[in-house]
Amino acid sequence: MSTPAAARPLPMPDETSGPYWSAAADHILALARCARCGSFALPPDQVCPHCRSTDPDYAFEPVSGRGTVRSWTVVRQSGLPGFAADLPFVLVDVELAEQTELRMIGRLLDGPGALAGSDPALRLGARVRVAFEDVHPGVGVPAFTLAVTEPSGVTEPSGGVR
Amino acid sequence: MSGRRFAARNKVAVVGYAHSAVQRHAARPLGAVTLETARAAIADAGLTPADVDGIVTSALFPTAGSHAVQDGVSSVPATWLAERLSSGARHVAGFHGIGQIPGMVGMAVNAVASGAAQTVLVYRALHNPPGKYHANSMERAAGPAQWTAPQGFFGPLAMIGLPYNEYLQRYNADRAAMASVVVEARKNGSRIPWSYWHKRPLTAAEYLAAPMISDPVCRYDCDIPVDGVAAFVLTSAEHAADLPHRPVYVSGYASGLPARRRLPLHWPLDDIMDVGTETARRLWEASGVGPAEVDLPQLYDGFSPFVYFWLEALGFCPRGEAHRFVQDGRIDSDRPDGLPVLSGGGALGNGRMHGIPQMLECYLQLAGRAGDRQRAGATVGVACHSSPHYGGAVVYTAEPS
Ligand SMILES: [Zn+2]
Repeated sequence: MSTPAAARPLPMPDETSGPYWSAAADHILALARCARCGSFALPPDQVCPHCRSTDPDYAFEPVSGRGTVRSWTVVRQSGLPGFAADLPFVLVDVELAEQTELRMIGRLLDGPGALAGSDPALRLGARVRVAFEDVHPGVGVPAFTLAVTEPSGVTEPSGGVR
Repeated sequence: MSGRRFAARNKVAVVGYAHSAVQRHAARPLGAVTLETARAAIADAGLTPADVDGIVTSALFPTAGSHAVQDGVSSVPATWLAERLSSGARHVAGFHGIGQIPGMVGMAVNAVASGAAQTVLVYRALHNPPGKYHANSMERAAGPAQWTAPQGFFGPLAMIGLPYNEYLQRYNADRAAMASVVVEARKNGSRIPWSYWHKRPLTAAEYLAAPMISDPVCRYDCDIPVDGVAAFVLTSAEHAADLPHRPVYVSGYASGLPARRRLPLHWPLDDIMDVGTETARRLWEASGVGPAEVDLPQLYDGFSPFVYFWLEALGFCPRGEAHRFVQDGRIDSDRPDGLPVLSGGGALGNGRMHGIPQMLECYLQLAGRAGDRQRAGATVGVACHSSPHYGGAVVYTAEPS
């Protein structure tokens, strides 16, 4: 087969997402925050999903990138040919630390090995942190890695709004 | 807004049907198959196309793939059919939400009950395009897709994989329990002449040996894409009394709408069940029955986990218990004491006909037309489609009180 391998789809930043993707290129997770009620919205909708303002005037603010796993799936076939070389891979459904039910889906870069063994590291409630895949020059795509269990006494960094 | 009695309860009835062959790829265009099936349904009802003054469908071509949508080929909108069936249609409409079957049935019932039409043809035409069903060659993810596709979250397999795994993990359930559901669907589908799976039942061992696609979803947890068409005729209860078949009345319907904004195709388990429970509450209020009165709960199974979700949302078992409930023959339609949740074979046993097998089984059983699988005394049926939080359900009865 001489067909060139398909590439992963690249995000097309638009007026709702430009700052998100420019921050992601610098490996910073910056989420849209409603100027009216202060809630994060992912994705940022025309109408704030929390206070329903039609003028949410979102500002993109860096978040901790920390979260917990609510579910996962191991993708073994993808409709997107650009992911063929990555199969199988794990997608995690993550609730971010900053806000209840602020959920985001991305690849778990630890891979299916995180499910190995009798006491797998990937389980409901497992802690993860954001990571970025540089899929193209100037394009970073958010993903996750399992957070290393930290020794007791180390506190979570502040900065997020719960 | 509180729920309330459906004002048109039992005032509109299903009076006839037709179903095409279900094939991987039909030899003729979908539009032609649709027109023939529509004519057959009208004839089955003892009518002619001139008697049909309403045409309602839901024309969505439900693929994530990069296939062109072409009227009469991959999709058959109501206008397309109306222009070819007869010149008399005065009410031509399409449902655009998710849960296409309850959505379009509700629109048809309302048209008849309001007098916008006297007799409505409702139909669903589904197409399997050449090539891989969900393959998409997108190089740029624009609009809503930018939040998911670059990250590898794409299409309905990962969509259902996440809440299904959430269910298994939360309730310490084994995916092997689902064999009971899939084997039951395929057993019943294997007995239906037009089914893609006719004479091809599945064993639990075959189910468990099937390759995983998006863990914990394996190949046989998914219905197979097909070309197929089904059509039904609905008319007023008064008119139905003059027609050849025993009418089956629509008692009520309800559809869900997610309460939270999510990423595209992100259907967390709590969204499904919290909104789904509310969908069920409104369904029972509208129709005036509850789970204890239902003889025939035909649950949606386009992906097998929906059977668990509907069992729990409708109140046939507590949350987290469906994986146990379906064991030990309790959903075996061959047992007189079994709860026949897939006696019509469902989508897993027929092919990707959306909620048509559920609706058809309610109609056939309640009209006394189910042949060898006719259940004595079946009076009330529920036909579900899609997810309890995004789709909906319709209650049918043979005996309007
Ligand atoms: Zn707001």
